[in-house]
Amino acid sequence: MTLRRLTALVALVGVFVALYLALYKAGVIGTLACGTGGCETVQLSKWANLAGIPVAVWGVGYYLAVFVVALAGTTERWGRAAKLPLLLLVLTGWGVLFSAWLTYLELFVINAICRYCVVSAVLAVIVFVLALLDWRAQREALDRQDSVASY
Amino acid sequence: MDTGRGRAKGVVKGAGNKGGGQRMFYASVGALLVAGIATLSFMSTRSGASQIDSTIKPIPNTGHSIGSDSALVEVVEFGDFECPACGSFANLTEPDIRARLVATGQIRFRFVDFPLNIHRNTWPAHLASWCAGEQGRFWEMHDALFMNQDRWSEPATRRPERVISELARGVGVGMEQYDACMDTQKYRPQIQANVEEGIRLGVGSTPTFIFGQTRVGAVLNYDQFKRYADSLIADAKAKRGTKTRTR
Repeated sequence: MTLRRLTALVALVGVFVALYLALYKAGVIGTLACGTGGCETVQLSKWANLAGIPVAVWGVGYYLAVFVVALAGTTERWGRAAKLPLLLLVLTGWGVLFSAWLTYLELFVINAICRYCVVSAVLAVIVFVLALLDWRAQREALDRQDSVASY
Repeated sequence: MDTGRGRAKGVVKGAGNKGGGQRMFYASVGALLVAGIATLSFMSTRSGASQIDSTIKPIPNTGHSIGSDSALVEVVEFGDFECPACGSFANLTEPDIRARLVATGQIRFRFVDFPLNIHRNTWPAHLASWCAGEQGRFWEMHDALFMNQDRWSEPATRRPERVISELARGVGVGMEQYDACMDTQKYRPQIQANVEEGIRLGVGSTPTFIFGQTRVGAVLNYDQFKRYADSLIADAKAKRGTKTRTR
């Protein structure tokens, strides 16, 4: 449970980081200026949109999804769902791959690094590792149960 | 026997524990929500303004200005032609500023070069603006460069010179003199001096606006720009008032 609680909390931080980037992209927040750390270069590049929606908005949706699934996993009703750890693992694994692709674009295509994008990528790795540990814990518990059952 | 259900139950022992742990967790979620919302709203109110050390005396009489010589105050923009933020200011806000503040004689507006080294194609654009300025076409070229930024900036091309010279021709610059001016990079030292002046005034990003001793490093919309300009005008009027009285 601790793992899922941690996953939910880290994902919630991710929601805010992505929300900041989405609001920045929309011009609501932050100071739009060149030469202050690369966020504007990244955010104003053609890679900042995916299927017509800002990447940051996808990020908000992604972290919200992880948050909701992990939160559900801490409750009485959904915490027992056997498929939940796998769902979290697949979701966060996809998040890591997507973050890796975005970081590759920043480093080698756009040639600029956005601090908040880096924070988001780190958070994506953290939730993935937590989800992996949760999934393994479930597997081990199942194995233990099986060996107990076979006696 | 329903082993599947049994297994799942056993696995997540402690799930749905409504005890201290879960309450603590909900409290943490709540605290994080409050902290996140507070941080975001704080960030949305940050203006990017700071005061220039009073011993540093603006403003250089360099770059290019637009507006009446008798305007009470001058507002300076340090800008980079390849900077998308400067482009957004030039295309969206500046027309209003020129019509409502410059043309009415309230302020004079000065553009000073601050080409950033993160922009690969910006130098030819700055040089071209000066070469056009030599023929009295600086502001026409300034507007054309910003309006067509996506055609000559880095993602579009590695060789911006041809597009830029087309723009120069389009705003009525004589090409023979322009080409000679570009070939010799005549204004490079001048532009470099402007960058150094900007650094002296604490400019680190573009666009940066200088309203007297106030430095604002952010794209401003018209209302924000007018607020800073108004307070500068009020200061200038107050100062002039004191001078008249002491005379």
